[in-house]
Amino acid sequence: MKRRSVLKAAAALTAGAATGLPAPAIAQGAARVLRFVPQANLANFDPIWGTQFVVRNASMLVWDTLYGIDNSFTPRRQMVESEEVSADGLTWTFRLRPGLRWHDGEPVLARDCVASLERWMVRDGMGQMIRALRQELVAVDDRTFRLRLSAPYPKLLFALGKNNTPIAFMMPERIAKTDPFQQITEFVGSGPMRFNRAEWVPGARATWTRFEQYVPRDEPPNWLAGGKRMLFDRIEWIIQPDPATAAAALQAGEVDWWETPLTDLIPVLRRNRNIRIDIADPLGNVGCLRFNHLHPPFNDVRARQAIAWVVNQADFMRAVVGGDDGLWRPMFSYFTPETPNYTEAGSEILKNTRDPAMARRLLQEAGYNGEPVVMLVAQDLAPLSAMGQVANALLRSIGMNVDYVATDWGTVGARRASREPRERGGWNIFFTWFAGADCTNPASYLGLRAHGEGAWFGWPNDPAIERGRDKWFAARNAEEERAACEEISRAAMISQPFTPTGFYRAYQAWRTNVSGIVPGPLPWFWGVSKA
Amino acid sequence: MLAYVVRRILATIPVMLVVALVVFSMLMLAPGDPAAVIAGDQATPQDVERIRQALGLDRPFFVQFADFLWRLLHLDLGTSIFTNLPVTHMIAQRIEPTLALMVLTIVLAVSVAVPLGVVAAWKAGSWIDRGVMLFAVFGFSVPVFVVGYLLAYFFALEWELLPVQGYTPLGEGFLPFLENLILPAIALGTVYIALIARITRATMLEVLAQDYIRTAKAKGLGTRPILFLHGLKNAAVPISTVVGIGIALLIGGAVVTESVFAIPGLGRLTVDAILRRDYPVIQGVVLLFSFVYVLINLLIDLLYTLFDPRIRY
Repeated sequence: MKRRSVLKAAAALTAGAATGLPAPAIAQGAARVLRFVPQANLANFDPIWGTQFVVRNASMLVWDTLYGIDNSFTPRRQMVESEEVSADGLTWTFRLRPGLRWHDGEPVLARDCVASLERWMVRDGMGQMIRALRQELVAVDDRTFRLRLSAPYPKLLFALGKNNTPIAFMMPERIAKTDPFQQITEFVGSGPMRFNRAEWVPGARATWTRFEQYVPRDEPPNWLAGGKRMLFDRIEWIIQPDPATAAAALQAGEVDWWETPLTDLIPVLRRNRNIRIDIADPLGNVGCLRFNHLHPPFNDVRARQAIAWVVNQADFMRAVVGGDDGLWRPMFSYFTPETPNYTEAGSEILKNTRDPAMARRLLQEAGYNGEPVVMLVAQDLAPLSAMGQVANALLRSIGMNVDYVATDWGTVGARRASREPRERGGWNIFFTWFAGADCTNPASYLGLRAHGEGAWFGWPNDPAIERGRDKWFAARNAEEERAACEEISRAAMISQPFTPTGFYRAYQAWRTNVSGIVPGPLPWFWGVSKA
Repeated sequence: MLAYVVRRILATIPVMLVVALVVFSMLMLAPGDPAAVIAGDQATPQDVERIRQALGLDRPFFVQFADFLWRLLHLDLGTSIFTNLPVTHMIAQRIEPTLALMVLTIVLAVSVAVPLGVVAAWKAGSWIDRGVMLFAVFGFSVPVFVVGYLLAYFFALEWELLPVQGYTPLGEGFLPFLENLILPAIALGTVYIALIARITRATMLEVLAQDYIRTAKAKGLGTRPILFLHGLKNAAVPISTVVGIGIALLIGGAVVTESVFAIPGLGRLTVDAILRRDYPVIQGVVLLFSFVYVLINLLIDLLYTLFDPRIRY
């Protein structure tokens, strides 16, 4: 027993003896409460309106999905009991599981799912593709709804079960009818936990209580698939703005599970025998040096290739994760390592011996003549600050005139949207990272889109990449998908929509009395228990 | 006196208007875009633009400012862009911890610093005096977060006497409330104690050199009445001025202290809002802080009349 507990118990007993009142039970019921430190503040709670990972992770507790992918990226039935697809692949009929209920006690109806899909389709990339093909999406009866398409969409079930934001969460019709660009004001779902809105203090705390009427599937849990059995009556998210405080709270047993401990603090946590450390997400993160393809010098492919010829991923990754070489690996690819679509096709530009002379020659050929290169570097996000510092030195070493703009992420987020040239507030390079889960295939991989004006910030334009992407969506088996990814890889290695700076993972930490934690792209709370 | 108080309170209105204009202008001129933060890293530029329109951020500056003032006149601070909660609700959620931390810090600081300063002045040049001044230098020099970490390390992790972090509302018991706040109050109060102790010492040295103190000693008065009745009372005006000015120091320090000890107060709310460009929340909190600061200065001015009957308003 901890000293504080002993002192408290003694004080309580003394008080009890003095007053004749019974002493309060120490830590009564604590085993059924999980105290979790999330990666960030839960500032809003609408998984369609706000696509931050922290919102998605919290939403997973409240809202359920029609399908859910497992750890082999295969979509499995979740709220759906069965589905039928017509021979031409155009008409899908879905039947919901019986007994599904919303947290307000009302039954889950097919029309709720139709409204939820309508809202999701406006905001999600795959949803928008489905929306473009949709001929009809209607409720047939209380438990059945039908989707009729103008062309087959082989990735439909994957789209409905994927874990990339925004996820196709199901909400009651009255809530799902909210404009997708406005926040919902009611947090009623059919998932395993109910959100305690009255206890929500954004920036400090969010709590959930177990939904007694939730009926989990019979299959064992596997990521978003299977039975989501909650072994806690209550889950508390305690927002910790300071990593050192979070580490101390975990050591002191004031919290049970910390999603993203700072790498620098891992040695301290390892010394505590009551704490376990493991990789949080095997799919990790992909570092990204993003070019602005609209303006010189990086509107010339040779300038982008010049950077790729000198990027040494080891330098970037060691700056990001520190001395723990087990946390990173080189990634001569655009796809997440150790996943089925990983390919190094065409990657010589990243893999061969680094070649500054080649880089200088390419820059010269691109007409670069010492003009300032505006590099936006967010200082408030450690990985981005680290990547920026390495890149700054690297670009200067090949004779580039770097205008290093040290700022915060809020500013980068706004300024990167500017399509103006640097003289009018534009930019040339910024840094970010992609969740490895988003880079396993082209579906939600916005950084790899290359359709010019409509593409993600930087606006690359490369029809070859887009052709490969179309082939992936049309692929009907794993071989075809892999071939499409190889085609994308070869094209992207030439045109460099962005230069990957490496692949890295992060740790998570929890008290040893907590068990059942499964590594994955987000924290799965089902199956987790506390002794 | 009453007329003076009314005049001063009325004078806060233009002050608040100027504060509102400055804060609003600074936020609008500052780089950053809440719509981009909301949309997330994976959003398309079209998504960001639609969110900006939905939030009304695409309207001209003066239209937005006029809207802001109109709402302010109705005591409506607006709705948080991110949480969709009324700013007044968010402030109400967070005000207790900050208020409690500040009050405890002030009580702690005044009750420690004033006696320290008095004793240091009384024993000027002795080791006690040097010790107090050494502490004052330490208090000024060591950042709040370092003191916070040191306190948490020893009292919470090593000796397991107090919790590392968090806040328990007063309504859930005085002891848990105090347990959570004592370390933050000490961390935040260190610089405040140093400031008050130094001012008290300097003022007391001046007062103790006055003729009336010599007369009091000649009358045979004891040390205690000389120090606290004749000395401290006459030194109270500058001391109370510093206590008032120090509130600004506390507001700044509370931001750091609340982060280090994970206290869900207004300081953290402000930092979170600034990082996300949550304009209504920033405006609301800054206006509140400004109002509190103006009121505290008024209170200090009124206190002068208690300490020095010669002062009339």
